[in-house]
Amino acid sequence: MSHGHDNPLDHPEVQLASPRGYLVGYVFALAMMILSLGLVKSHALPPAGLMTVLSIIALVVILAQLYFLFHLDLSETQIWHTVALVMTVPLFIMAVGLTIWMFYTLHMRTMIPGLG
Amino acid sequence: MLVDLQGPWNPLFGRLGLLLEVHYNNPVLFFAFELSVVVGVILLFWATCARKWGYIWREWLTTVDHKKIGVMYIVVGLVMMFRGFFDALMIRSQQAIAVGPDSPGVLGAAHGYLPPYHFDQVFTAHGMIMILVAATPILVGMMNIIVPLQIGARDMAYPYLNALGLWLTVVSAALVMIALFIGDFSHAGWVGLAPLTELPYSPGVGVDYWIWSIQIGSVGTTMGAINLIATIIKMRAPGMTWGRIPVFTWTSMASNIIALTSFPVLGVTLALLTFDRYLGTHFFTVGLGGDLMMYTNLFWIWGHPEVYFVVLPAFGMLSEIIPTFSEKPLFGYVTMVIASMAIAAVSWSVWLHHFFTMGAGPNVNAYFSIATMLVGIPTGVKVFNWAFTMYRSRMRFDTPMLWAIGSVFLLISGGMTGMMLAVPAINYIVHNSVFVIAHFHNMFLLIVYAAFGAVTYWFPKVFGFTLDERWGKRFFWFFTAGTLMVFIPMYTLGFMGMTRRLDYVSHTAWWPLLNAEMVGIGLYAISIACFVMQLAVSIRDREKNAVGADAWGTSRTLEWATHSPVPYYNFAVTPIIHDRDEWAWRRKHGLTSLKPDRYVDIHMPKNTAVPLVLGVLSLAFGFAMVWRIWWLAAISAIAMLLVIIYRSFDKDTDYIIPASDVERMEKEMLARAERVEGNAPAPGGAAGGAYASPQAPSKRHQGD
Repeated sequence: MSHGHDNPLDHPEVQLASPRGYLVGYVFALAMMILSLGLVKSHALPPAGLMTVLSIIALVVILAQLYFLFHLDLSETQIWHTVALVMTVPLFIMAVGLTIWMFYTLHMRTMIPGLG
Repeated sequence: MLVDLQGPWNPLFGRLGLLLEVHYNNPVLFFAFELSVVVGVILLFWATCARKWGYIWREWLTTVDHKKIGVMYIVVGLVMMFRGFFDALMIRSQQAIAVGPDSPGVLGAAHGYLPPYHFDQVFTAHGMIMILVAATPILVGMMNIIVPLQIGARDMAYPYLNALGLWLTVVSAALVMIALFIGDFSHAGWVGLAPLTELPYSPGVGVDYWIWSIQIGSVGTTMGAINLIATIIKMRAPGMTWGRIPVFTWTSMASNIIALTSFPVLGVTLALLTFDRYLGTHFFTVGLGGDLMMYTNLFWIWGHPEVYFVVLPAFGMLSEIIPTFSEKPLFGYVTMVIASMAIAAVSWSVWLHHFFTMGAGPNVNAYFSIATMLVGIPTGVKVFNWAFTMYRSRMRFDTPMLWAIGSVFLLISGGMTGMMLAVPAINYIVHNSVFVIAHFHNMFLLIVYAAFGAVTYWFPKVFGFTLDERWGKRFFWFFTAGTLMVFIPMYTLGFMGMTRRLDYVSHTAWWPLLNAEMVGIGLYAISIACFVMQLAVSIRDREKNAVGADAWGTSRTLEWATHSPVPYYNFAVTPIIHDRDEWAWRRKHGLTSLKPDRYVDIHMPKNTAVPLVLGVLSLAFGFAMVWRIWWLAAISAIAMLLVIIYRSFDKDTDYIIPASDVERMEKEMLARAERVEGNAPAPGGAAGGAYASPQAPSKRHQGD
């Protein structure tokens, strides 16, 4: 039985923290936000293309933040956190995807065309 | 104020001025109030006279011991179940009286004795209490006590978080009880029918009580889930591989994965509703782009996984009780584990069956119908596994086994009606009828049966003596008679077209069946009296009913490999696991002695009052938010934050029990075991050898 809990700074999760990682994560997220804002303000793409590009940027930012800010990776310390996160992906798809599907059919069946 | 509040409000007292306007005057409430006050005063008086406050503070209020926390969870659950039963009694008697236009009406009600507004609060409170502050705490308490013992851990992974989860659950129950006397409770059903829960349609504080009670309690449940998952993953004794974990622990794992992933959805849903009611947003109204269907959708995204969250631990309990009293290993361990995980996985894709009639397209309904029916496969696997465990075994009908078998029968009947409801065509006919009510009560009673069985089964492990068999059997049979008398007529009424939540029944032909249900609820009342007698008689005869480590003689899993009652450090030395049914393996190899070769230091968490303080603060916060007393809410929220920060800097959270102290305590417990078991087992185990032979056979079979 290890007695590492006496000093919180000894925890491996805490050891993973580094100013450089936080800074990189922060600057990257900020840059992506400015890029998105610029794209939208200048109408750089047609609406459908804009939506796609923004979604991809959002996904990349999420992954970058998970890596740089939450330090999720496949190391022994973090593997369970990463597994837990990956497990939420199907749940997310189910909860959001099935909801969209359901509300779409609901909309088609109950709304008067042209009013909704 | 961002919203249009009706009635008085001032900065100091918030909406408490509403209390001056009495809406209804019901002697039932006064009876409940007097009962609570009298019982409370008696308890406080007793604690003071017997100078128990120091003991209660040290041993219970500030404890981080997972067993004591579990016991407190279960006590809260049982007390709230008693309250929920009274609500049920009121619902049933109202429906038995208020039938037909000629039925009498008293106390301001046109028919019966409960005006609609009060009746609606009663059924809302009944549903919310029974699910969230009765069933859930009892099951969480059971997991709390048993899981660390089954995997050979000293305590939970986060003992402090564990205590915090308990006190938040207590706050949830306390808010419901406060709502009974100060103000009123939600009248919108336990599911919170949107948009009835919105401020314009429910201008009182009832819905706010309902929101904050569930919100605070669900934070506690989520913390408990994190804790149990971490405990099962990280705290297992050496040799306890994934393939050797007892089935109850496996189902706890599955159940808490569900809790961890679904309770946040509930939290968000209620938070959005809170924004609607407090800030004037329009998430769940049709105004300004909101959608009231979205509330129902989000609620059931949590609500249906929640159903499996409560049923899976019950399956685990059955999987422990049935092999013990069949004197045989569980049939199909691997399929049992896979089935548990499969139920957890499917639980996320079935929620729409709660509103098949909402208007979704036929393909959507077909998808969710099939997904719902899929649940029947792993559940069926489990039923067959229990049946094959009992098949050609030496079955003993001790009280826990009776509850377990009753539970399996209820699972079969509830599962069959569930399959019927999974068909959208049938659902269109019986939607919102009492057939649905009978179905889900059938399923919840399965959990209650398993939980009562588990309480009886593990009681000697926690307290060192068994519960009285005679009163236990009376309790079981009266409870079963009540179940049949209430719910068979209810199924029938559902087919006859009776809808749910009726405060007045216009169709007089239903009266005989409603009276039959009234008889059933009377049988339930008798069964509760039997339960109280069972507890009283058992405590009186505790010396006579004292048992050693293996209370039932044929127990199989690791929790029976330590003393009864379990010492606060659980095991003198960390056990080494050799087999799936560790205790049965040790019995077979004659290794039942609880005396280790040598004693070692034990590292334990220290008691702390911080969780209790946070609980009190969150109660103040919840109460303040309900009545919109902003200054109190702000103070308690800031205080909570400060206490959490203070605690995070506290490094004095653990201590070491020296080996000599462990040896001294162990000697006392070994002496006790020798005394109660009569013939002292020699080191190495007297009962070794014969497979699954009862260790203390002299006192067991007398009740059969």
